[in-house]
Amino acid sequence: MSSLGKLIRNENMKIYRRPRTWLMIAFLVLAIGLMSGLMKWDAGSDDHADWQQRLSQQNAQLQQELQDNEKLDADEKTDIGNRIKLNAYYLDHDIDPNELSLWNYVNTSASLTILVTILTVIIAADMIAAEFSWGTIKLLLVGPASRSKIMLSKYIATMGFALLLLLLSFAAAFGAGGILEGFGGLSRPELTIAANGAIRESSMIADALQKYGFAVISLLMYVTMAFMISAAFRSSSMAIAFSLLFMLIGNSLSALLSGYGWVKYLLFSNIDLTQYLAGASPLRPDMTLSFSILMLAAYYVVFQFVAWLLFTKRDVAA
Amino acid sequence: MSDPVLQLRNLTKTVGRRNIVDDLTFDIPAGEVFGFLGPNGAGKTTTIRMIVGLISMSRGEALIKGVSVRHHFELAMTHVGAIVENPEMYKFLTGYQNLVHFARRHEGVTKTRIDEVVALLGLQNRIHEKVKRYSLGMRQRLGVAQAILHRPSLLILDEPTNGLDPAGIRELRDYLRKLTKEEGISVIVSSHLLSEMELMCDRVAIIQAGKLVDIRSLQETRDSAQSKIVIETGDLPAAQRLLASAFDPSLLTISGIGQLELAADKSAVPHIARLLVSAEIDVLGIHAVQKSLEEQFLEITGGEMVV
Ligand SMILES: Nc1ncnc2c1ncn2[C@@H]1O[C@H](COP(=O)(O)OP(=O)(O)OP(=O)(O)O)[C@@H](O)[C@H]1O
Ligand SMILES: [Mg+2]
Repeated sequence: MSSLGKLIRNENMKIYRRPRTWLMIAFLVLAIGLMSGLMKWDAGSDDHADWQQRLSQQNAQLQQELQDNEKLDADEKTDIGNRIKLNAYYLDHDIDPNELSLWNYVNTSASLTILVTILTVIIAADMIAAEFSWGTIKLLLVGPASRSKIMLSKYIATMGFALLLLLLSFAAAFGAGGILEGFGGLSRPELTIAANGAIRESSMIADALQKYGFAVISLLMYVTMAFMISAAFRSSSMAIAFSLLFMLIGNSLSALLSGYGWVKYLLFSNIDLTQYLAGASPLRPDMTLSFSILMLAAYYVVFQFVAWLLFTKRDVAA
Repeated sequence: MSDPVLQLRNLTKTVGRRNIVDDLTFDIPAGEVFGFLGPNGAGKTTTIRMIVGLISMSRGEALIKGVSVRHHFELAMTHVGAIVENPEMYKFLTGYQNLVHFARRHEGVTKTRIDEVVALLGLQNRIHEKVKRYSLGMRQRLGVAQAILHRPSLLILDEPTNGLDPAGIRELRDYLRKLTKEEGISVIVSSHLLSEMELMCDRVAIIQAGKLVDIRSLQETRDSAQSKIVIETGDLPAAQRLLASAFDPSLLTISGIGQLELAADKSAVPHIARLLVSAEIDVLGIHAVQKSLEEQFLEITGGEMVV
């Protein structure tokens, strides 16, 4: 009887022995390099020499506004107050808020995880359907491994690929940031103002990891969906096309239809959990974080179950 | 004889309302090359697909070395190697990498064993080339190699000679013989080509429209082959009249080229000769022939055999 570990090695071999996979990886690294270069170039066009002077000027203006403008409501007043406090803190501690540190690059790379998601979705959509396209499914299934085990090995290999891309994009951004800004900025804190008005220093790495964390959730959902689609189609190009289509139009569809109450039950309405972070507003007012987590969990289970049914119960007559 | 390697029990596949495999029951003993013979669409591939679990069984059961395919799939499959129709391989991998892929599914297939099988099938020169550059025959060999890596007790080959040249077919045949004699494994070969079956198989099951028509040993079939006497004369109608009165008329037929054929063995030749001569009918030739296996099978399947 086949061991799961060996089956996973087989799936890995089939992923990494294809030139396509390495093109994808090269593409991702290139995109992050390009992004870093653009960030550096953009920051270079600002003049940083007199940043202290500019911050003091800005604070004076804000102070003026606070005194003169009668129409400000309470929220706006605290907001302006917070900005003044933050600027003062920067001046006291000699931190240039506009100077890029390595973490800015890592942070921005977190928004490129959409690329990681797309690439992994392509791999996932291909995972089962390609075996049918190639006709290799027959030999794959005729062996001492249950279909469930084969499917699990394919899913794990897909997730392994996603993990590799995530690590790679983190490392590439970290490397690019370090090369462009030096590795000295590693300990620079991220400043935020808590609800009680106190200034809080948090580590930038935690911030970056949080961004990655949210991205991983949507990645997990999209990839699992693509995997299910892969089990449904017998042609890999169809499976890839449909997976990408759902993924790309899903979000705009949710936004477009957000007027309807039922929209909150769509996968796409729940997939972006950053909508519940402070300062953001959810797609629909009646949606809560726990609701979305519940919905995502439900979708995940359904995707897995349908994929399993499709893969293990159907006749292979191709 | 030891326990049967494969037992089919009322194996049935129903699609819609049609039974494309209908109630097959038979055993295949160890060490035998067993043929599935039947015209196109008879249900050979469907039967094989059920045995290896690619499609579900509508009814019945297949046991491999006594292990139910339906209930203990993984265990049953440790005893089986198979190619079903064309063995498609991963084209972007080399032949060797393909074999490694399939070897990993089994316990105890060593590197030495892979090399051994590669040599056995004569693939050693090109085994490290990508499969997309292989010819059809080479892919077929790679398919067989993949199927025997783990020394199965039952080797199932669906149309294995597809794409092989005559030398390749002969090699395959010799190799199958060797496997059955030396390792005692059983082989199932499906084909609609009787000529192949004749040389390879010990027994054949004849399947038609999903049903088992007959199982026979080829040796016995050869021994019991009926013979007929072909008679060529100058006056066909007169000869026919004469022989119809002397023999059972139902044994007498006229072939397409105007020869009389009488189902009888050659001891009847002198009698026929005397009859014709005494009736003053010109005799151009009389000879006895054995019915070929092909003709016999055509009779069994009602002339539908695609040969
Ligand atoms: N999935 C299916 N759905 C419906 N009918 C099918 C299916 N698969 C096979 N058949 C039918 O079942 C019959 C048997 O097909 P099968 O492929 O088993 O024949 P075969 O004996 O292997 O023929 P060949 O010599 O051409 O390979 C055919 O009539 C075929 O059309
Ligand atoms: Mg067939």
